[in-house]
Amino acid sequence: MSKTLAPKPIDQVVKLLEQRFGKLPVAINQTATDANIDCPPEHFRAVVEELKNHRDLAFDFLRNIVGIDMLEEGLACKYQFFSYKNRQAVQVTVLTPPGNPHIPSITDLYPAANWHEREAAEMVGLIFDGHPNLKNLLLDEDVRIHPLLKAHPLQKAEILQGIEDTTPGFTF
Amino acid sequence: MSIWPEERVHALADDGFETVDMTINVGPQHPATHGVFRMVLTVDGEKVVDCEPYIGYLHRGLEKLTENHDYRQAMGWWDRTDYLAGMACEMAYCMAVEKLGNISVPLRAEYIRVMMVELSRILSHFMFFGAFGADVGSFGTSFIYGWRERERIYDFFEEVAGDRMFPTYFRPGGVQMDLPENYQDRVRWLLGSIRQGLEDFDGLLVGNEIFVERCRGLSPVTPEQAIAWGLTGPCLRATGYKFDLRKDEPYSVYPNLKFDIPTGANGDVFDRFMVRMAEAWQSTLIVEQCLDALSQMEGELVLNPDLPKTLRIDSGECYVRTEGTKGEYGVYALAKGGNKPYRMKLRSPSFCNLSALREMVIGTYVADAIIILGSLDIVLGEVDK
Repeated sequence: MSKTLAPKPIDQVVKLLEQRFGKLPVAINQTATDANIDCPPEHFRAVVEELKNHRDLAFDFLRNIVGIDMLEEGLACKYQFFSYKNRQAVQVTVLTPPGNPHIPSITDLYPAANWHEREAAEMVGLIFDGHPNLKNLLLDEDVRIHPLLKAHPLQKAEILQGIEDTTPGFTF
Repeated sequence: MSIWPEERVHALADDGFETVDMTINVGPQHPATHGVFRMVLTVDGEKVVDCEPYIGYLHRGLEKLTENHDYRQAMGWWDRTDYLAGMACEMAYCMAVEKLGNISVPLRAEYIRVMMVELSRILSHFMFFGAFGADVGSFGTSFIYGWRERERIYDFFEEVAGDRMFPTYFRPGGVQMDLPENYQDRVRWLLGSIRQGLEDFDGLLVGNEIFVERCRGLSPVTPEQAIAWGLTGPCLRATGYKFDLRKDEPYSVYPNLKFDIPTGANGDVFDRFMVRMAEAWQSTLIVEQCLDALSQMEGELVLNPDLPKTLRIDSGECYVRTEGTKGEYGVYALAKGGNKPYRMKLRSPSFCNLSALREMVIGTYVADAIIILGSLDIVLGEVDK
């Protein structure tokens, strides 16, 4: 269990993924640090289940979820997985179409996804279908803003706290 | 007739004694929450039935600020995440920028970085020993023990970078400036002091039967649970699973250094404490090796001299992970041209470790819930970003 394995090189992971996912309509490429799977939202669950359960993949650990505002392309969500068993890493990119930011939740497969999904939901406005408790995590409970959308200004403080006649915040 | 709502009353089967679930609010202003963290405990007598953590009281919009600042300007925001070990955060941020921009780092700078990061790790762990001892009930004594070494390390940091907690000492491509002239003697003296401090803690806490009995066997976690819940760092290694990014996905000059990865066996609170004790000791060994290496390359460059005044990165995407003091400190970065990142996301280990709190405290006593929270060693700057 506690043997030290060298991390698998990216090109080998890419090759492995191409064998497994050749039939699905997904694109496999790589980033500066990881292999990457571009996957439409409707095939996302199938891809993740395969990543988790297949013997050669065995991605048992969800590292991170990133929600990104890609402007006119829609909202993107990136998942970083890691396999402790096979010492390999992969990133799954899901690009949702504009106006329809729905992605199936993976909290049932990875309990660690719970807070990450809540964070991505409040920060950019993604909606994770099937999440048990998709309320604000870092922001105030009753605030309905998505601060990490590019359209959201940096400068405007939402809670003015009695200084309404001056411009709050600093000018950058 | 009960004065309580029907669904909250449940009778115990054996003696017919009616109990009522009570809700206790802990925090956000509470010394045992190590910052501004709030949890709402539902208790049945002394037992915790449910726990709901609330975070975000220290949310400063790190990611939004980073998107709106120059690559070098944004540095300063990042050591405010894990403010107990600012340089470990700077390291991850700089590595992400260097990965995107293909920036090389001089070898001397790498050794300086690793040395400072390991000193930061010791800083952070001493804070944990002190605060955790206070949680368990040694009141202020352990705190002061921890503070003695921390002050000495902070004094050195101030001499190196001009600031204690938020040094902003690293730069993409190296470090801001070389170490002060007397650093070899200073750090070697520090290491002796740190080792003495670790021995003092060993006597004060580990040699104390009350402490050991409070912690041993409390909230045992298996490696499978730890991986599913997203625990990393000392919390994962306490379960007996040997995984450390410094060894298993090596970065910087860690492959050149000799050190061990301490692991526990039961994944309980006591193992989490002991793993950190052993880890701080290993860090002193790493610092010593860095000092030896640095003495061989005096006067060499510490900052890549070929960098432009303004860093501009065309495009790229990376997820850089480092072994932070609390676990896997990862930085996702996406560049789309210009002098600012398009998106930067912090994968903070405290955030992920804290998300497992609910599963860990259910079924324990209220007083133990505080200890379990303490044993996760969260720092709220990192949880709330």
